[in-house]
Amino acid sequence: MIEYAWLIPLLPLVSFALIVFVTGRNRLLSAGISIAAIAASFVIAAGVGLEFLHNPETVEYGLPWVDVLGLRVEMGVLLDGISVLMLLIVTFIATLIQIYSLGYMHEDPGFSRYYSYMSLFAFSMLGLVVATNFLQLYIFFELVGLASYLLIGFWYEKHSAAEAAKKAFVTTRAGDFGLLLGILILFSLFGTFDFTELADRIAGFDNIPLLTLLTVLIFLGPVGKSAQVPLHVWLPDAMEGPTPVSALIHAATMVAAGVYLVARTYFLFANAPVALTVVAWVGGITALFAATIATAQDDIKRVLAYSTISQLGYMMLALGVGGFTASMFHLTTHAFFKALLFLGAGSVIIGLHHKQNIWEMGGLYKKMPITTVTFLVGSLALAGLFPFAGFWSKDSIFAVALEHGQVALYWLAVAAAFLTAFYTFRLFFVAFMGRPRSDHHAVESPPSMTGVLVILALFAIGVGFIGSPFIKEGFGHFIYFGKPHVEHLHMNIALTSTAVTLAGITLAWLVYSVRVTSFETLSVALKPAYLLLKNKYYIDEIYRWVGERVVEGFGFVLQWFDRTIIDGVVNGTGTLTEAIGRRLRVVHTGDLQTYALVILSGVALLFAILALVDPVKVLKLGGIL
Amino acid sequence: MVIDLNLLLPEIFTGLLGVGLLVLFFLWRGEGVVRAIGYLAAVGLAVAAVLAYGTVALDTSTLQGTWLADPLAGYFKVVFLLSGVMVALLSLSYLERLGESLAEFFILLVFLTLSMMVVISAGDLITLYLALEFQVITFAIMIGYRRREGAATEAALKYILLNAFSSAILLFGLSLLFGLSGTVDISGIAAAVSAGSPQPALYLAVIFVLAGLAFKVSLVPFHMWTPDVYQGAPTPITGFLAAGSKAAGFALLIRLFLTIFAPVSTVWTTVFVVLSVLTIILGNFVAVPQTNMKRLLAYASVGSAGYMIMGLIAADVTGVEGVLFYAFMNVLAILGAFGVAVVFANATGRDDIEAYAGLSKRSPLLALVMLLSTLSIAGIPGLAGFVAKFVIFWAIIDKGLVALALLGVVMSIVAVFYFLRIAKVMYVFEPKEETPIRVAPAARIVLVASMVLTLVLGIYPAPLLDLAREVALAVLR
Amino acid sequence: MEGFFDVGLYLILGAAFPLIAVGFAALLRPSNPDPDKLSIYECGVDPYGDARVRFHIRYYIFALMFVIFDVETVFMYPWAALFKDLGAFALVEMLIFIGLLVLALIYAWKERVLRWI
Repeated sequence: MIEYAWLIPLLPLVSFALIVFVTGRNRLLSAGISIAAIAASFVIAAGVGLEFLHNPETVEYGLPWVDVLGLRVEMGVLLDGISVLMLLIVTFIATLIQIYSLGYMHEDPGFSRYYSYMSLFAFSMLGLVVATNFLQLYIFFELVGLASYLLIGFWYEKHSAAEAAKKAFVTTRAGDFGLLLGILILFSLFGTFDFTELADRIAGFDNIPLLTLLTVLIFLGPVGKSAQVPLHVWLPDAMEGPTPVSALIHAATMVAAGVYLVARTYFLFANAPVALTVVAWVGGITALFAATIATAQDDIKRVLAYSTISQLGYMMLALGVGGFTASMFHLTTHAFFKALLFLGAGSVIIGLHHKQNIWEMGGLYKKMPITTVTFLVGSLALAGLFPFAGFWSKDSIFAVALEHGQVALYWLAVAAAFLTAFYTFRLFFVAFMGRPRSDHHAVESPPSMTGVLVILALFAIGVGFIGSPFIKEGFGHFIYFGKPHVEHLHMNIALTSTAVTLAGITLAWLVYSVRVTSFETLSVALKPAYLLLKNKYYIDEIYRWVGERVVEGFGFVLQWFDRTIIDGVVNGTGTLTEAIGRRLRVVHTGDLQTYALVILSGVALLFAILALVDPVKVLKLGGIL
Repeated sequence: MVIDLNLLLPEIFTGLLGVGLLVLFFLWRGEGVVRAIGYLAAVGLAVAAVLAYGTVALDTSTLQGTWLADPLAGYFKVVFLLSGVMVALLSLSYLERLGESLAEFFILLVFLTLSMMVVISAGDLITLYLALEFQVITFAIMIGYRRREGAATEAALKYILLNAFSSAILLFGLSLLFGLSGTVDISGIAAAVSAGSPQPALYLAVIFVLAGLAFKVSLVPFHMWTPDVYQGAPTPITGFLAAGSKAAGFALLIRLFLTIFAPVSTVWTTVFVVLSVLTIILGNFVAVPQTNMKRLLAYASVGSAGYMIMGLIAADVTGVEGVLFYAFMNVLAILGAFGVAVVFANATGRDDIEAYAGLSKRSPLLALVMLLSTLSIAGIPGLAGFVAKFVIFWAIIDKGLVALALLGVVMSIVAVFYFLRIAKVMYVFEPKEETPIRVAPAARIVLVASMVLTLVLGIYPAPLLDLAREVALAVLR
Repeated sequence: MEGFFDVGLYLILGAAFPLIAVGFAALLRPSNPDPDKLSIYECGVDPYGDARVRFHIRYYIFALMFVIFDVETVFMYPWAALFKDLGAFALVEMLIFIGLLVLALIYAWKERVLRWI
């Protein structure tokens, strides 16, 4: 099967092309092709996975793509523990979500377009996963960004959706430019893009400051894509897209691409301890920071979005403290339970006819029993209660943080865990329990949706065991950096985390279900803090201010300069309307003389440059390189 | 004296094409003659492009060294002829807005293309200068083609007067070169310069030649004419200015700075760095608040020149390869974008960005081509523009100019910002009128071809990169 | 410096010749001005208006047409002087050159530039 692994990303591409060029008019056929393609990819991935279980060896092959003097880039397939794992997760969840979408997107006029974008996304994501070199990785990194842009803006007639799409694209690209720069520096140093070759050559490289610099640059890409602080702002807005998209792309797979990238290039980070510390702290801060915001959100999808950011922070933290296996393990469990939660939210949204405010829900457990139970399973997994999936992966992160003596980060993570339990169950109690808070007529979703929920719920319960200490050759036996990882039972950590989780759940229960103290009094009592959280620390406002004032302001200043000072006053204001004949002569004389003057001053400028300064030296960054 | 006329084959063919079309115009003044001449011009230029491609492999000269037939000349001839073909086809969709004397428009277009071909094949300074003037005068006529419109005559007048000014500066530089070496032959001058030690007069020559050529490729602060002229000219000609004329300028920069001025490269790279920084900053930021599509594309094209000049800063094979690739990709992207503007203006008579609202509903093809072309200029991966910028950044990072590359990347994010604004107008806003826009077959060919090539070169650039690298190796030999 | 001496002599003689001729005439001729005699000569008609009058665009076109013949002649002088040495190739070259100019003339003719309306 391994020799057919290249088909895994290619099949969705074929389906994308077919839908766009051939079957676009036929809704069901388009959906059928897309689902068939991704399901076939899953079957192949499963075959590859089985072979890998028997014989865990790294396999790499590819075709030359660019082969010009000095530069040889392949489009290839690299199969090792993490890529096989990701192939399985992505194809499996994508298949489920595409089936779920049959019901969810049923009435949408853009049905075929939706499936073509989904196929495009699957192609890009799978191509990213199997990348053998930095260039291939970067290209697919941008392609998933494009697919995400298209899907966030799927309902482009909605102004907010179009804005969100643009924001996502621009924000993640801001991170990508660091990534690109890092890749280019890396290439100029080592002369190759290939991961395997780089891993060999990096070992003997002793300019640690330079390595740290470029590793941090590379890390900027993951910061954007995995929505880490301070580039996290796009992810909550991305919830403007259809909910299955949020589940697949903005929870389970694409946002994990950043984490995956760090894992894939871990040989760089491992050699640059400072960069690793940066990763750990960015992750830790993100985990806590996003969790605090999630406690004050009212939109069901936004709560989940901030929760995703927070969980991605956990994964980064784990990578940063050296917990390669723990991070990948959390990525895996998170993919399942977060997809489940989002699809559950989607089921609720459809059942309530596009209501998303949790304060208009309530009492759903009677009307939507399957959705409620599965959502509860997902919540418990997210909160990390024994024996649900999140418990095992979160505990292994805690363990690894303590093992490496990162006590501060450990307590950061524990605090975030408390908040996680609190906001998850705040959401659950408000939205599902109690009495209906508004006049709604909820109905349970069709079987194509609830069926998927049930499957995912089973995984959210069971998938944690593959990495638990009870299985001898479990997760860490296949997925590791350096030497295989063996999971031990950490009784004190398990007890701490369980206690913290239970405390969070209890607090949520007291405030939102039993109402020992009413929510309103609390929010009044803690008004400043509440407002700060509700407004997401005003980060969006700060960015908007900076964006508008600085970028556009700068543009306007320069234009003013160009028009007024350089263009000459006459032409700057002169519109070519009436009396062109007479006025034109005036415009011309004033104009051209100024233009000519500028050209002459340009010549003078060139002389000045030659005579006075040598900017080449300045731009060489004072001799760092 | 033996003259190998095969070396001049593309030029002889193009010249005969222009003359032949003129004769045809004498003989046949019937209905449909304009369209016939337009199509014939396009087909003829395409044939010439094939002939020119045949000369890429040559590396020789004739007519006592006044005529060069080397890979650089061959490559750029293909670029010029290709843009000529595309402009001819686009102009067929613009006839209603051109006014009168339509057949002459295409005949002049053929001669305009011919002038660029002579520029890049010129082996001595006099031929070079005359060919440049030939190009400028023809361009001036075509810019002012809509002579009853104030903006067009203003643009033509500005173009020709400022060009005369910059030509004088260039000529001063060229005469200094003659004074230094006692010959007008480019290879002779190069030999003389590298033999002697650099003199101050050589630095003066560098500055004056650079200033003259910087005007042609509109590097800041020599860019002043660009927005006014681009806005006033007929849109197909604007496209030709941004694609063909710019490529011709860079061809000359490569020709002169990497041969004659190569021994003093440390001097001019410094100057180039400053010009590049100014150009990409001003070009991209001033594009942000523009409301007129042609003016916005004009500033974006100013910015492009700033990226291309980086390839010359590197002054090595990779850098030149990047410039060559950029020139080709620029033809596709710029003519794709201006092609949309041509069709749109012909249908609606408007150039302001606001008018593009809801274009995706009125013509999905136009909106898609505009989107892909502009994103290619911005340098989004998967499109040809990314490869071009990538190669150039790689070249200058290799030279240690990391900060310059960083600035380049930041500025291309700014470019994404203003191009996505266009995308938003086209895809999100509601159209003011619902009438679909019809795209004529000739324009459709250009738009689809540019889009497909932009995508193909973005995904599989190896063939063109190979070619560009061979040309670059020949230049630097 | 040899060459510059010749040039200088040429300049001096060139300036002296008209100066001497007009100077002698001024000394010899009788001088009795009257208004008619001092007025600007314009084909014998009384002059009127400002000197800055607008000419019809047609004059410019004729001036342009004149350039065709003017430039043609300028190029043909050196060509004729060396014609014997250059041989048949030069003949073909000149024929092409003239051919192009003739084509331009025909174009102008066809466009009715030569017609005075």
